[in-house]
Amino acid sequence: MADEASKIDHKRHLLLDQPLLRLPYELLRKNFRSAHFTTEWDAAFVKNLLKDTATGSLNAKTPPEDVVKNLDVMLARMRGLKRKLTTNAEEEARLYRQLDARVAHLRELSGMHTVDDVRYESWSRQRLDRLMIDYLLRHGYNASATALANERQMQDLVDIDTFVSMSKIRTALEGGSVQEALAWCADNKKELRKLKSNLEFMLRCQQYIELLRAEQPGKTTEAIAYAKKFIVPFNETYPAEVLHIIGLLTFGPETRLPAYARYYSPDRWSQLAAIFVDAHNKLLGLPSFPLLHIALSSGLSALKTPACHGAEATASSTPGHGTSLTASVCPICSTELNELARNVPYAHHDKSHVASDLMVLPNNRVYGQARIQECAAKAGLGPNHVKDLVTGQVYPADKLKKVFIT
Amino acid sequence: MDSLQHALAEVNKMRRLSTAVDHVDKIIEMLSTAREQVATTLDPHTTSLTMTKLQNPIKVAFERVNEDLKEVSGAHKKLGRALDKHFPLKPLPSDHDAMAEYPDLINRAIAMHLLREGQFSVASTFIDEAQDASTHHAPYQRLDADTPDDDLDEPMDEDDPDMNASPFTTASTNQDLSSLQSQELQTKFAEMYSILQELKARNLGPAIDWARSNSDELEARGSNLEFELIKLQFVWLFKGPLVNGLPDNERNGRSGALDYARRNFSRFQGRHFAEINRLVGAMAFASNIPDSPYKQDFAIDGAFMDVASSFTREFCSLLGLSAESPLYIAATAGALALPYQMKFVEMSKAKGTEWTTANELAFETPLPERMLYHSIFVCPVAKEQTTEANPPMMIPCGHVLAKETLQRLCKGSRLKCPYCPSEGQIKDARQIIL
Repeated sequence: MADEASKIDHKRHLLLDQPLLRLPYELLRKNFRSAHFTTEWDAAFVKNLLKDTATGSLNAKTPPEDVVKNLDVMLARMRGLKRKLTTNAEEEARLYRQLDARVAHLRELSGMHTVDDVRYESWSRQRLDRLMIDYLLRHGYNASATALANERQMQDLVDIDTFVSMSKIRTALEGGSVQEALAWCADNKKELRKLKSNLEFMLRCQQYIELLRAEQPGKTTEAIAYAKKFIVPFNETYPAEVLHIIGLLTFGPETRLPAYARYYSPDRWSQLAAIFVDAHNKLLGLPSFPLLHIALSSGLSALKTPACHGAEATASSTPGHGTSLTASVCPICSTELNELARNVPYAHHDKSHVASDLMVLPNNRVYGQARIQECAAKAGLGPNHVKDLVTGQVYPADKLKKVFIT
Repeated sequence: MDSLQHALAEVNKMRRLSTAVDHVDKIIEMLSTAREQVATTLDPHTTSLTMTKLQNPIKVAFERVNEDLKEVSGAHKKLGRALDKHFPLKPLPSDHDAMAEYPDLINRAIAMHLLREGQFSVASTFIDEAQDASTHHAPYQRLDADTPDDDLDEPMDEDDPDMNASPFTTASTNQDLSSLQSQELQTKFAEMYSILQELKARNLGPAIDWARSNSDELEARGSNLEFELIKLQFVWLFKGPLVNGLPDNERNGRSGALDYARRNFSRFQGRHFAEINRLVGAMAFASNIPDSPYKQDFAIDGAFMDVASSFTREFCSLLGLSAESPLYIAATAGALALPYQMKFVEMSKAKGTEWTTANELAFETPLPERMLYHSIFVCPVAKEQTTEANPPMMIPCGHVLAKETLQRLCKGSRLKCPYCPSEGQIKDARQIIL
């Protein structure tokens, strides 16, 4: 069937696939920034030390023994740089390999013009696998995601490493540890500032809260010192919050004042985790929720009809009812998605879509003439009788009446 | 995408960080040579000479490393420009995630999809992992994109009571998930998968056994699967050992086929008399089937694919499931419908109207014919889809209108069809089931 709707609009068909190329690109840049930073830092150090040593040696201030020592320091520094750069270079090679694989995968689609192309199905299945893996990774189901990626041999098309490191930090936060997230903040300081993320501030507050929670004099002093060092610097960005949280000093964990009690709530950890995930995804240009969600909410609506959750639908999806002639169970009526689709609006249609040559049976059920005849033939009825495709009732053929759909 | 691939190929030719590593290596070499010289002599004069001579080459070498980095970053910039040009960023829905509230339903759909695809080990890893996660901590929480910073302090578990009140709470769907693990569905799909594997290997036996043991249900559905399978088996045997690769004995070849026909066709005499006659009649042309009028009946290349797909359809239908994976269909439909959704979102943003989630989408999302599973009737007068509350009605002349339209059109008890000259009584209109 070459209907208009089966055409693939190449420019707009790849909306869901944007992160596929954008993420490795962002990671390339991030990787480069870290390589650049270490190189500058180490190069400046080595150059200065070399200059000082040379001058010192020339003025006979630095004896040869110290020159050797300094050279050893420089060598150690350079070997360190080499190690770090090698890691960066490997990461770069991996990312380029991913980009090659991904562009090739997207390019396969350029050769297809309609969704009825036999190759489209396998392409689209692979897309579903990608969407599922993205979903699994975002939920921290890392083993499942890895298993599926291995099974389908599509490791270069999915971002397991990125999400696994993200989920480590998230799990740490959910388990009450801020260190991992703080380290991540330090790695991405500049970018987080650009995003105006409050993640670091929230993490610092949490550490301060934990010190106060202990309610020991020593810890309280520590908390004050901590606040001076790490929270007060945020005064310009979050003046009200800083003031408020400093006030927490006077309220212990037993406080009944809701405004302060909420600071001690264990829920804060999962909020921190959510703030972290949000910042992480924004930083890498990832959509804020799983791509599968986007695909499903759009797809379920497009497929859904008013009939899918009607009384009729539940009857026809019960085993034993229906007939093989009603081509296939509708995916929305099928158990997998029925409940999920209950919550989305149904598709909008401007035109009727019905079989041609509709006939109405005496029981008011309407079918296409071709299917009625096919069913009668399969049931072994003579030419003078027809059978209802759903209910199985048999009627004389002359009781059929033509239906006109305008 | 072609131009993007070209751009990527060019970028691939540019310098990588590995060149910088090589140049760093050179510096290390120079430094260690100098160290050796200084360490072996320990003479102040040679030392200062070595050190002075070292200055310039090291400086040059670092400059080279810098050039490397510049080119590497140049390559990234080039790639960035190519992406912007050939794969420009287009917005995705970001303000409302309607699916976020139902992680358990999505998990279940994924688990069933994996089972259906025959990915049993992945499915069981997933079911374990998902159950583990939901017993340990609340599943995945998302920030609303627009939440202002100071609101983040608010407790975010307000949704919980709602979740518990809904008919599919975490607990009950977890049971669902575990029922997928332990119960029959997995065994069923395993059975389906192994029968399909056998069919692919052109072994009809297991499929025939299944069809036979479910023959009552299949017959009630008006399915001919069992007969189709037996018919194909007959043809398959008829082709003989050279084609089917089965042992060359009395149960194979023409005599084997005839024997098979005698034993199996009798049950279908009533329903498929003509077809059986035809098949057995073909025996007369046995030596020259390709040129006989029976060649259609004996072309088997497509037949195995056909029975495999009708087998899948029947198997799934008996379980109340659709033949194609719903998750696959929905995701594909989603990719097709998403551009329309985004276009609509863009337009309504430009007009300043918000899009509200009503019962029906506000824009059309055309799908290919084969993705339309139900008849859709749009009342030609009201231009609205009919629903259970507003069903299609056929008036005596055979034209169909929505019930509400009909009530608006009729004058008293009389009705004039808007599409043809005939007139009738409203009581003669009958509700039809499309």
